Amino acid sequence: MQTTFTPEQLTDPAIQRSNEILRSCVHCGFCTATCPTYQVLGDELDSPRGRIYLIKDMLENERKPDARTVKHIDRCLSCLACMTTCPSGVHYMHLVDHARAYIEKNYDRPWSDRALRWVLARILPYPMRFRVALLGAKIGRPFARLMPDARLRAMLEMAPKTIPPVSRNDDPQTFPARDRKMRVALMTGCAQKALNTDINDATIRLLTRLGAEVVVAEGAGCCGALTHHMGKVDESHATAAKNIRAWAREMDGEGLDAIVINTSGCGTTVKDYGHMFRNDALAGDAARVSDIAMDVSEILMRLDLPEGEDKGTKVAYHAACSLQHGQQIKTYPKDLLRIAGFTVLEPADSHLCCGSAGTYNLMQPEISSQLKQRKVQTLEALTPDIISAGNIGCMMQIGGGTDVPIVHTVELLDWATGGPQPPALTAPGKQKPKIPILR
Amino acid sequence: MTPKSEEELAQMIAGANGPLRIKGGGTRPIGHCEGDVLNTSAMRGISLYEPGALTIVAGAGTPVAEVEKVLATENQRLAFEPMDHRALLGTEGAPSLGGLAAANVSGPRRISVGACRDFMLGVRFVDGQGNIIKNGGRVMKNVTGYDLVKLLTGSYGTLGVITEVSLKVLPDVETTGTLRLHGLSDHQAVTALSAALGSPFEATAAAHFPKGPSGDPVTMLRIEGFADSVKYRADRLRDLLKAYGEVEVAVGDGAEWGLVRDVTAFADQPGDVWRISAKPSEAPDLVARMDAKAVQYDWGGGLIWALTDKGRDLRAAMGAFDGHATLIRGAADVPTFQPEVPALAAITAGLRAKFDPRGILNPGITT
Amino acid sequence: MEMPTPDASVLSRKAQIVDRLSEVLPRDAVISDERETRAYECDALTAYKCPPLCAVLPANTKEVSDVLRVCHEMGVPVVPRGSGTSLAGGALPTADCVILGVAKMNDVIETNYDDRYIRVQSGRTNLSVTGAVETNGFFYAPDPSSQLACAIAGNIAMNSGGAHCLKYGVTTNNLMGVTMVLMDGTVVKIGGAHLDAGGLDILGVICGSEGQLGVVTEATLRILHKPENARPVLMGYDSSEVAGQVVTDIIKAGILPVAIEFMDRPCIEATEAFAKAGYPMCEALLIVEVEGSDAEIDAQLKLIMEIAARHNPVELREAKDADEAGRIWLGRKSAFGAMGQINDYMCLDGTIPVSSLPFVLKRIGEMSKEFGLDVGNVFHAGDGNMHPLILFDANKPGDLERCEAFGAEILKLCVEVGGCLTGEHGVGIEKRDLMNVQYDPADLEAQMAIKDIFDPAWLLNAAKVFPLETSQARRVA
Repeated sequence: MQTTFTPEQLTDPAIQRSNEILRSCVHCGFCTATCPTYQVLGDELDSPRGRIYLIKDMLENERKPDARTVKHIDRCLSCLACMTTCPSGVHYMHLVDHARAYIEKNYDRPWSDRALRWVLARILPYPMRFRVALLGAKIGRPFARLMPDARLRAMLEMAPKTIPPVSRNDDPQTFPARDRKMRVALMTGCAQKALNTDINDATIRLLTRLGAEVVVAEGAGCCGALTHHMGKVDESHATAAKNIRAWAREMDGEGLDAIVINTSGCGTTVKDYGHMFRNDALAGDAARVSDIAMDVSEILMRLDLPEGEDKGTKVAYHAACSLQHGQQIKTYPKDLLRIAGFTVLEPADSHLCCGSAGTYNLMQPEISSQLKQRKVQTLEALTPDIISAGNIGCMMQIGGGTDVPIVHTVELLDWATGGPQPPALTAPGKQKPKIPILR
Repeated sequence: MTPKSEEELAQMIAGANGPLRIKGGGTRPIGHCEGDVLNTSAMRGISLYEPGALTIVAGAGTPVAEVEKVLATENQRLAFEPMDHRALLGTEGAPSLGGLAAANVSGPRRISVGACRDFMLGVRFVDGQGNIIKNGGRVMKNVTGYDLVKLLTGSYGTLGVITEVSLKVLPDVETTGTLRLHGLSDHQAVTALSAALGSPFEATAAAHFPKGPSGDPVTMLRIEGFADSVKYRADRLRDLLKAYGEVEVAVGDGAEWGLVRDVTAFADQPGDVWRISAKPSEAPDLVARMDAKAVQYDWGGGLIWALTDKGRDLRAAMGAFDGHATLIRGAADVPTFQPEVPALAAITAGLRAKFDPRGILNPGITT
Repeated sequence: MEMPTPDASVLSRKAQIVDRLSEVLPRDAVISDERETRAYECDALTAYKCPPLCAVLPANTKEVSDVLRVCHEMGVPVVPRGSGTSLAGGALPTADCVILGVAKMNDVIETNYDDRYIRVQSGRTNLSVTGAVETNGFFYAPDPSSQLACAIAGNIAMNSGGAHCLKYGVTTNNLMGVTMVLMDGTVVKIGGAHLDAGGLDILGVICGSEGQLGVVTEATLRILHKPENARPVLMGYDSSEVAGQVVTDIIKAGILPVAIEFMDRPCIEATEAFAKAGYPMCEALLIVEVEGSDAEIDAQLKLIMEIAARHNPVELREAKDADEAGRIWLGRKSAFGAMGQINDYMCLDGTIPVSSLPFVLKRIGEMSKEFGLDVGNVFHAGDGNMHPLILFDANKPGDLERCEAFGAEILKLCVEVGGCLTGEHGVGIEKRDLMNVQYDPADLEAQMAIKDIFDPAWLLNAAKVFPLETSQARRVA
């Protein structure tokens, strides 16, 4: 498309990048076909093409963001299905990230919005605080219906029924491997480890079993995705910088073959560190970190997953948006599950988001719940024994809408190669085993 | 009146002061038409034929037989398999190309490749005021402006007199195979034909005779193409339909389908003949309500030919249904064509008034 | 691009119009704020933009009927919009119009595999119609390149085609019935689950009428069983004449491929740089696809390869498996995206008799030098539909005008050689002013007379298809 930025405007590197992106869009509209909010709302303004248009207008004219523009941008899930679909290679992710940062800086949000976003940014990335909040939510859950704000209701309803105790496996340490073939760092994340410690445990067991020494780096924490998607760039960069430094230290120390991430929402952000920090002093290390960042399914493809017998178990594979669109990893998890002997089924419309999308299910409960219903329907139509996914957000979202047990892909692969049965598959009422210390 | 050119025709129509009865070959009379006969037979001749582009252009007065002969020399044909009405209606003459278009005449292969209107690429016509109008052209893909080609096709001369027609043609086939099943009820037959038509084995015709030549029901499917392909598809269909009984396969020139196409079974039978377009799965129930003397199903059940006692109102017997019934032969005191719902009738009346404000082109054809 | 002067009386009544519309639709279905109506100011033809008065998103036939009734009573023009993927400006608003978007109406109403049809709301995308029936082995045949995103409503309005229309026909050959709302709010049902019209082929004239006769809210579409298999072959030749001859020979041999695609050197080079599909660098490339059982495919391809080999190909390549088949098609499918990476482009849609291809390509090459703009050609060789892609720079003053002038000359050439202005995209606004090249005043009068019946007030998408001077009297009345 034709753009009208002035030369002065283009001296800002962020504007320059966005100008490139805007120029690459030919307004063909293909992206509307795979956009979940367009499917639900049917409004051009809630499609990537319409959002690109709004962002273009806002940035070119240096407009103070208005409530309507912000509403449509806020409704974007950042599922990035549009990027997979776009025939012209428009980098929508970078454009909407820029828009969010611009809005955060220039828009006077209503008080309740600001408060909610502030609370989420102060709690979710910090596991200790999040655990306390989850406990509070568990207690407050019966009162959800009394909550005046739909978003607060959504938060209370989303609180899990059980909150795992802190796992010492998430502390900084090294897990040795039998017959060591490589050395990898495991990002233990933030929200995930407060909600579910089985995923990291399974990851560590599986990787070490297959020959990867796993190190949890000192000083690493939240990847910054949550705050980044709120446009709170200073905060996201601060937490990201900590990770970059922690992993760079390991790379310069004993060396790392990969940085493994088992929450695909985070993986997309870590792989983007190079771009996020391109004009920062940390640019070099950020790029190095991005270069070796991998989803757990990617690293498993490089290790020899032993072939398993046919288990006669139907696994419905849910493709998390951040994995299939953000990281363009579409086949590895299914291939791995098949190698391990599971029968893998894919739901219809697998390209469509489940509605979790980071904090989206808390901030946009109506749209999120419609998407959740659609996703659960397509998964249950397969009559699966298990649903597997590569992202904790999806697991929480879908898990809240179905009785079919949902586990992380690595938990199934760990189980198939000698690990314990994933606790989520044990019958209700049975006591969950104590968290084993793995080292 | 037999104009020798489009201009002459335009003048004749402009100067007409009474109803005109448009005649091509005169082999497919329908409805009640009075007026001076306007004969198109002198506006004839093939002006363009490009086998490599699958296109033929000819005057409306060109005999269909002449067109088919020319196409045959290049191993091509009018794939929509136009019916020859002469036997059924007891008429004589040489069917004209313009008549084909004006009546949207098709045959059994319509179910597979489409009707006459799906092969019409372009049309030239003179409207009721003597204006010479063209639409479409000679290329298959043409969405320039409104599609008057479709509107004129099947308009029975009530919007204008067609003077030239451009048609898409298709290659002729090497081999024809006919599959026959015996003894099926109407319901079974339609189900079997639907299964065949819903398979990837490309049947090009699907018919059912509750009373075949021997008096028993016979259900027929046609496969066309290269010899190996025909054998393969016939085998697969035989397999698909084995639950319905034994399937006979005969490979040859497919001449038997001419009898299906021309509804020959009703030709010498007394009575009125109705042509009903229906939803296939509803066809047997419609037939049950009809109480006809005889019926013949085509298009897998989507087309019913019914022979009835003279003067019957078949529409009243059937009641409302998804489709329409046309009185093809007979003088029953019913509208020839299915009456339309008011909104559509208004549109039809409006279109006729626009193209023929004086109402001189084949008036009475629709009463 | 000239557009009619907006009706001042409509503009001044915007608030009342929005109020009346808000009475018949839910609040969030009426978009009237200027910052939001901008998103509806154009479709995929971005050279021309005009924000509408407002946009409405009805969810069912009744809401569409209410909207049109209100607009009719108040004398407000309406422009229908599907997915907004038109390359001809079919959904371009005027400042005084209401954009009526059907994107909310995307349900499947009924599928019937015995009688082989599907009924859908018209806002459903083309590909998702096939999506609704593919687990049962069926598909909906017309496949425009934008099928992922384009709506059935738009397909019906433009009578869309696609690469597979050589064998299966275009939209009008696969459309069995519609529910349509007229400009005054009257709902009409035409056709259904039966074949052939019972009287005048009104369905046939609605298809391709570019949203000027009514708003289609539901459609009954023919569905077919998928063929057992399909396989493409790739052929490279040193000249477009030879490639054209190969196409003719294949058709004369009695084979009916399901698709025949042609690309010339500029397109091949751009596509290779972008998609790296492994195409040979040559003057003309053909992709021919046939369908059937494996044995049938083998037999057809044997014949085709014999014909192809007779003409000294630069390369002949048969796909040995699904992967290779995908790679053969990959380049062709990425062609437009690839050209878009080089530069802005204008995609034309003229159709020519297949035999004229070499001559027309030669002339286009000459004109390219005259106008100083590069052109790549993608061509549906089976049916003569050309897609010349003229490259220009939207940010360079004067380039767009030069590009349009070049395009107009190409389209005039198409008509000269016996073809037409548009094979699939429709007239929209893009080719409005060229209608006089293809049609005489009497021809256009006959078409406009049809609109007089359906929309006497000429409120529905009136600025499209017909040159403004030609439709002036009716629009202003």
